[in-house]
Amino acid sequence: MQSHGIPRVAATTLDKSEQARNKERKQIIQYQALERDVVDRVKAKDYSDTTFQLTSQLLTQNPEYYTIWNYRRLILQHVFARELAADEEPSEQDSAAAEKANLPPAQHEVLLLIKEDLQFLIPLLKQYPKCYWIWNHRSWLLGTATKHLPAHSAVTLWQAELGLVSKMLGLDSRNFHGWGYRREVVLAIERLNSNGDDGEKGSGTGNMVESEFAYTTKMIQSNLSNFSAWHYRSQLIPRLLSSRKADTNTRREFLDAEFELITRALYTDPYDQSLWFYHQYLMATLNPSNAQALPVLDPCGREEHARYLEREIGSVREMLEGAEDCKYIYQALLEYSGLHLEVEGEGGEVALGEMREWLRELRGIDPLREGRWRDLERKMGS
Amino acid sequence: MDSLDNTSWDVVITGTGLPQSLLALSLSRSGKQILHIDRNDYYGGDEAALSLSEAEQWVKKHGGDASENADSAYSHATISHSEAQEEGAKKLGFSRAYSLALTPHLIYARSNLLPAVVSSRTHSQLEFQAVGSWFTVTAPPDGSSSQSRLTRVPSGREDVFRDDSLDLRAKRSLMKFLRFVASYDEESEQQRMKQLKSLPLSVALKQHFGLSSATAVAPLLALALPTVSEAETTMEFAVPRIACHLRSIGMFGPGFSAVLPKWGGLAEIAQVACRACAVGGGVYVLGQGVKNATHAEDTGDSKLRLELTGGEKVLAEWLVGCPRDMPSTISTHNMSRAASAEYMTKSISIVSSPLTSLFPPTAEGGVIPAGAVVWVESASSSSRSVRILVHSSESGECPASQCVLYASLRGDPSYLDIAVQHLLESLAERPKPEVLWRMQYRHHAEAEQPRNTTTSENVVTLQPLSTDIVLEDDVLTSAEQAWRKIMGDGAAEFMKFESREGVDEDE
Repeated sequence: MQSHGIPRVAATTLDKSEQARNKERKQIIQYQALERDVVDRVKAKDYSDTTFQLTSQLLTQNPEYYTIWNYRRLILQHVFARELAADEEPSEQDSAAAEKANLPPAQHEVLLLIKEDLQFLIPLLKQYPKCYWIWNHRSWLLGTATKHLPAHSAVTLWQAELGLVSKMLGLDSRNFHGWGYRREVVLAIERLNSNGDDGEKGSGTGNMVESEFAYTTKMIQSNLSNFSAWHYRSQLIPRLLSSRKADTNTRREFLDAEFELITRALYTDPYDQSLWFYHQYLMATLNPSNAQALPVLDPCGREEHARYLEREIGSVREMLEGAEDCKYIYQALLEYSGLHLEVEGEGGEVALGEMREWLRELRGIDPLREGRWRDLERKMGS
Repeated sequence: MDSLDNTSWDVVITGTGLPQSLLALSLSRSGKQILHIDRNDYYGGDEAALSLSEAEQWVKKHGGDASENADSAYSHATISHSEAQEEGAKKLGFSRAYSLALTPHLIYARSNLLPAVVSSRTHSQLEFQAVGSWFTVTAPPDGSSSQSRLTRVPSGREDVFRDDSLDLRAKRSLMKFLRFVASYDEESEQQRMKQLKSLPLSVALKQHFGLSSATAVAPLLALALPTVSEAETTMEFAVPRIACHLRSIGMFGPGFSAVLPKWGGLAEIAQVACRACAVGGGVYVLGQGVKNATHAEDTGDSKLRLELTGGEKVLAEWLVGCPRDMPSTISTHNMSRAASAEYMTKSISIVSSPLTSLFPPTAEGGVIPAGAVVWVESASSSSRSVRILVHSSESGECPASQCVLYASLRGDPSYLDIAVQHLLESLAERPKPEVLWRMQYRHHAEAEQPRNTTTSENVVTLQPLSTDIVLEDDVLTSAEQAWRKIMGDGAAEFMKFESREGVDEDE
């Protein structure tokens, strides 16, 4: 099975020789014994280092076994609590190391444990980049760090995470776990850097919205079909504009530039659905009755909406030439002209006759969705 | 080593060029007694990589015209150094700092050679570098004072997206053509391909794909790398070549379609292959060729009787080699040069700059390539263009801060040097990069020789490499055919070996 063109490594052996099956049988017995051991120990509240190591073994073999990740966290929580409540004097070495890191010894211990666990996750993440539980555990480790450690320590860890997630996205730019995680990381860094201000407002000095916007540009340029990158870009735009304190003209210029970008992409590859989604998003920001997409232009009323609809319908119409078999073009034309009819009424940019023509083409290209086209036809008829 | 005289072998392979070495590799686990000889005193044969002093000797040997070099693929070799330099000026490194390939080839990612290198467990001894960017150089019209222009060839969708020299319509048309090329051999496009195949590429682009501007046509020609003129380059030739490039992009990493073996190109692969055969028991002797051979049918026991250049007499069940290494008594190889009028003029130039602008990273966070391909446009559509492979010092072929330029042109050589100069000018580097040293030679194509003719039952002829710069799949399939003949019915899988015990399995 392929994921975005990256072949998945088969975990099971295909070799059905007797020797191989014996080997596999032994492995299964060993695994089951290990599993039983871990479960028994945790039930007995044995949160020792031995148990911890056993969970490492088990998780390396099967990172999808989320209960064991829970157990691992139980153990870690137990250890952290013990460290932080410590009454005993730390050793000379530990004190010296803690001072160097500008941390009290107890917290330094916690930091070291967290770092060790993060290290443990790296080879697993490389091998299973789409395992929810690995990303989740990483998230938990960093959340714990933020809770127990001073900001300057925690933010270093988060910065390292940004590096890691960029690398993971470099390996597979369409891994949505990576993109989701990146948003989490950016939010955490912004919060920590703005000294407790609400990072969401984005007006603090820790604001990363410009660099993140540039990152989406970079990712799109290296691979146009990137739903996640386009989506992230759309999420960043409202904050970006308010961070730049953009006025009416600046906003208009910005929107036009985004339309120019997506049009250029659509001319290069109108068959790529992710591009059409972004085009739809841009159009949605202009729709005053669309509550979900924050407006880009200011003001943005019916006039603006109608003008842009007319412009884009014209632009998309031209894309038909040489791509008469592209269903997305017809879909877009029908959607936008439908909207235009609602906004401006009849006698506008597009005649109903032309719309029926497009629907006919669309039905021919995409017969599997006949039901949907019939519905659309009914709507148009009324 | 004891004399070879009166020894008996299962297989005698003559010549250590790539085809013969691949065969040796394929036989390296067969348990057969193999004697592998080469009449030169170096490995690699026609595909050898030479140090500076080796190159000088080689040029002396191949300096004459075609008739003096009747049994060689090369002739008309010349060498020239730049003028003596002032103190501190860039100069040549020592001789062994160079490993100049006589026939550098582009190995596309989807070439059949690479999986064979992996399955035969030799990949861990080879280091492959990326061949990243492709460029065209347009010369200024005669008499004009403007400079030659270097343009990067868009080699995929994202490149087309970013290319500012293409307007929206050109982008769309170019993408349409690339989409056609990507599926030209599928059922849906076979009819269309049939219609278009004998049209010249530039004509088909204009009439059927709406692409007529030079900015769109030149890059496609560059990807096809024809040896003939633009007017003679047909769709039939160009489309599969461009498809090979498109289908290879991203196979080993984003942004590049071909690789080059470090330290001397194909010669390195040949050496590793021979080493593998030696480990398997093969015996290697340089400085020996097969002078004479008697047909097996004429001898008592149906073995071949071979006489080596040193006078030794050996018995062999099989004799394998390329036509030029075969003794005339047994091969139908036509020694007359008239039969092969086709030749490529090639030059190797050592340049005094790392030419970094030709080696941008292959992708965001991608590798830095060690090779680049440049297509220098000819003055008119009826004359031929020059193809230049540029290798940086990362290829291991020259010292740091220098580059090696391998230029080739079919036929008349006078434009070859001019093309190299156009390329160097177009980079707009100050000071202008200089050619410190160059050699030039002719590479003759094989006269029409049917593959694997056996004039005797036990003689197998391998197909030599073409004079072109793209490594064809034929080379490996020719070796496979020979292997099958020799192994007979007991043959296992071609080039599929287990790793040897005690040898580290590199990841």
